[in-house]
Amino acid sequence: MTGELVGRVGRWALDQLAAALRVSVLMVDTVTWLVVAPLRGRGFRWRSAVRHVVEYGLRSLPIVGMICFLVGVIIALQASYTLEQWGANRFIADLVAVSALRELASLMTAVIIAGRCGSAITAEIGTMEVNEEIDALEVMGVNPIKYLVAPKFLAMVIAVPAVTALAMLIMIVGGWVSAVLIVGVETEIYLEQTVNAIVVKDLVNGMVKSLFFGLVIAWVGAYRGFQVSGGAEGVGRMTTSSVVTSIFLIIVVDLVFTVLFYFL
Amino acid sequence: MSASADRPEIEVEDLVVAFGDKVVLDGVSFAVKQGEIFVILGGSGSGKTTLLRNLVGLMQPRSGRILIQGEDFTAMSESERVDFRRRMGMCFQSAALLGSMSLADNVALPLREHTRLEESTIDIMTRIKLELVGLSGYEDYLPAELSGGMRKRAGIARAMAMDPELIFYDEPSAGLDPIVAAGIDDLIRTMRSTFNLTSVVVTHEMESVRLIADTVCVLHRGQVAGIGTLDELERSDHPYIQQFFERRPDEPGTDDEAWARALTGAG
Repeated sequence: MTGELVGRVGRWALDQLAAALRVSVLMVDTVTWLVVAPLRGRGFRWRSAVRHVVEYGLRSLPIVGMICFLVGVIIALQASYTLEQWGANRFIADLVAVSALRELASLMTAVIIAGRCGSAITAEIGTMEVNEEIDALEVMGVNPIKYLVAPKFLAMVIAVPAVTALAMLIMIVGGWVSAVLIVGVETEIYLEQTVNAIVVKDLVNGMVKSLFFGLVIAWVGAYRGFQVSGGAEGVGRMTTSSVVTSIFLIIVVDLVFTVLFYFL
Repeated sequence: MSASADRPEIEVEDLVVAFGDKVVLDGVSFAVKQGEIFVILGGSGSGKTTLLRNLVGLMQPRSGRILIQGEDFTAMSESERVDFRRRMGMCFQSAALLGSMSLADNVALPLREHTRLEESTIDIMTRIKLELVGLSGYEDYLPAELSGGMRKRAGIARAMAMDPELIFYDEPSAGLDPIVAAGIDDLIRTMRSTFNLTSVVVTHEMESVRLIADTVCVLHRGQVAGIGTLDELERSDHPYIQQFFERRPDEPGTDDEAWARALTGAG
């Protein structure tokens, strides 16, 4: 009984260790093919990277913009619910600006891009795995990490922060619209409060986080893709898993950086 | 004749491949002569696809050696193996064309990755390769727009892109109607006679073995049941070879299916 338990825990630990090793290999390979290999003249697929920046960034903008606008509207109204009692509705602007910059813009952007692009990375690589296309690349002497992962990785690391920056702005606009139209704060006051509330540190906080969210989405997407086995069903399972894992890790990374910036 | 001409193109020595505790190939040895069509024949779960994956370096054996053109393929480092693979082409069972690219781009991929040829040169070479397999005019088609037989042909064109000296086919006629399958068999022979390619074909289709094989190696439960010309094997008294050639079902009570299940981990 005890022996069986020890055996299970041991096997679980070994599995986790093996998984951690595979993730590390993927990370090292990605960075190698992104940074070291191009310097040695072994090439990088720039055109693919640009195409993916458009896909992950530009094409995500409408939905990210829409959601962040609405979230801005919502926070402003929710803030007013408390602040009104103290006659402090002008501080809605502060709250919206700080939440957008430090937390919500990067988080919402990352979650949406994980859902629409992280899943796509997994589905693409997973389908290629099932169709022997990954094997075919290897036999042709084309490294799958170089060919598939490195361009997507670079694109993700560019697209997520870029979209986040716009999302911050849109969220503040959303807050302004509801504060002015519904709560009745004057535009001049709202703008003044917003400008005073914004500090560089908050902006840096949000942008640094979004960069790491991009890393998480690209790596989890690729890792889950290579894990696919067993046909179309396997692709579906890993795609779901990719989104869930990404969102979970995004929250963990968020926590780590929030704690870090809290003490800075 | 020089000494190197007598040397087999591929030598497999006592190959053992295992997944965990499951031994899939158990002491497989054979030699493939330059320019011959060597067929690896076996039923489901016999280990023939695993053997092919080892021959092209997609898997590493637990022990044993694979010498290709006299060089120890199993002992090479990853980058040496990548370079060495340019002498080898492989056609996958599902053709494994990249679905997001046109046929021309698929065939051009190895050229674009490994050479610094002008785009116009690559374009010409791509057309030649597609012409070779009877697919000229289909340059701009996506793999999904083609029939299974055409995809197989395109896979062969891609395998030929770097002008390999050895070519490997995984189940080339599986899933094709007899006429299309015969066309692929024809193509395999044409490739050999035109380019003097050493060809290794993994299959379970007796019909195509009769058409193409110079030498046949029968795999059974991860071991070589017999090697020889088709005539020699037809006279073999090995019970599995006889059963396979005569297309007889298993007697009740034999455990071949249990063996296949144990290998695939199903059931």
